[in-house]
Amino acid sequence: MKEQWRLLITEDNSAYTNMAMDRAELVSISRKKAPPTVRFFTWKPSAISIGYFQSLKEEVNLDACKDLGVDYVRRITGGGAVFHDKELTYSIVIPESHRQIPKNIIKSYERICGAIIKGLKQIKIESKYVPINDILSKGKKISGNAQTRKEKTVLQHGTIIMDVDVEKMFSLLIVPNEKIRDKLISDVKQRVTSVKHILGEEISFKKACDAMKIGFEEEFNIELIKGDLTGEEIELTDKFEKEFFSTTEWNHRR
Amino acid sequence: MKSYSIYKVPNGKLLKIFLEYNEKNNNIESLKITGDFFAYPEESIETIEYKLKNAQLKREFLLEKINSIIKENQIKFIGLNAEGLTEGIMMCLK
Repeated sequence: MKEQWRLLITEDNSAYTNMAMDRAELVSISRKKAPPTVRFFTWKPSAISIGYFQSLKEEVNLDACKDLGVDYVRRITGGGAVFHDKELTYSIVIPESHRQIPKNIIKSYERICGAIIKGLKQIKIESKYVPINDILSKGKKISGNAQTRKEKTVLQHGTIIMDVDVEKMFSLLIVPNEKIRDKLISDVKQRVTSVKHILGEEISFKKACDAMKIGFEEEFNIELIKGDLTGEEIELTDKFEKEFFSTTEWNHRR
Repeated sequence: MKSYSIYKVPNGKLLKIFLEYNEKNNNIESLKITGDFFAYPEESIETIEYKLKNAQLKREFLLEKINSIIKENQIKFIGLNAEGLTEGIMMCLK
C-alpha cells in the first residue's frame, strides 16, 4: 500500500492566515501530530510576500499596497518578494528525516520541484528545475520556491503562476531607479511566463489542483488524502497570525 | 556614518547592506544584512550582525571573522557566501 499524506485545499485566505497555517503545520508535523502534508491555496486579498531577510521598506511600496488593497507579509523562508495574485500556491511540510527528502538542501529543492514539474506536465506544460529555486518553461520562470528547515522539519512553499500583471506588480514593488522602470517591466515580461500565456487560456483553480495532486503523488509515489487542519493546527494558526504575521513588529523587522 | 550597498553575489542573490560605521577608526557600529538569499538557520543572520558589531572594516579581517562565525554557528548559505558578504560590506566604505 502506498504511503498516505494529507492534502489540504484552502482558498481565499489572507496573507497572514496563509503564512500562519504553514507555520502551524510545521509545528504539528514536527510533533508527529500529523502526516506529511501538501497544501494548495490562494490569497484574498492579493498580497506581496517578502523573504525573511528582505527589508520591507526597501522592497514594497506600502502606500501603493494600501491604495490597491494589497496585503503584505514577511515569510519565514528566505528568497525574494512575490506578488501573489493569479496563482496557485503550494506548500509541503515533511520531516527532515523522511527517506524521500534529500539531506542536501539544493537536492531537496529539486526533488520537491519535481512534483510541480510533473503537475505541469499533466496540463501539457514542459518545464525544468533551475537552481537555486526556480522552475522554467521555455526558458521563462513559471514557478518560484522557498524552503526552510526548522524543528527537524522541512517547509517548502512556492507559486505556480497562472497569470501575471507585471505593471501592477511593479506598482507594488520598489523600483531602485524610476528611470529604469519601463526597462525592468520589459525585462520581467521577457523572463516570466504563466500557465495562461503558455496554454492560451485560463484554467480553473480546481483543474490546477488536480494536476498538482497527481504531480506530488507521482513524484513521491504516495497517495494524497484530502483532509483538514487538526484542532491544534487551527489554534496555532490563530496564534501565529496574531503574534507574528499580522504584526508590525514581524513585518517591519528588517 | 551611514552607508548602503547593493551587490549581486556572483552566481548568487542580491545582497543589500545597511551599515553605520565610525569614520575615525572604521569600526562597524551597526549592520543590517538584507536580500533575497537563503540562510539556515534563518535566525543566524542576526547572530552575524551582532557579532560583527565593532569589527574593523578591513577585508581580510572581516572575511576571516565571517568565516569563523559561519563555522562556529554551523550556518549554511544559499545564494550568498562569506566572500560575497565581505564584498557587500566593504562596498559601503566609500
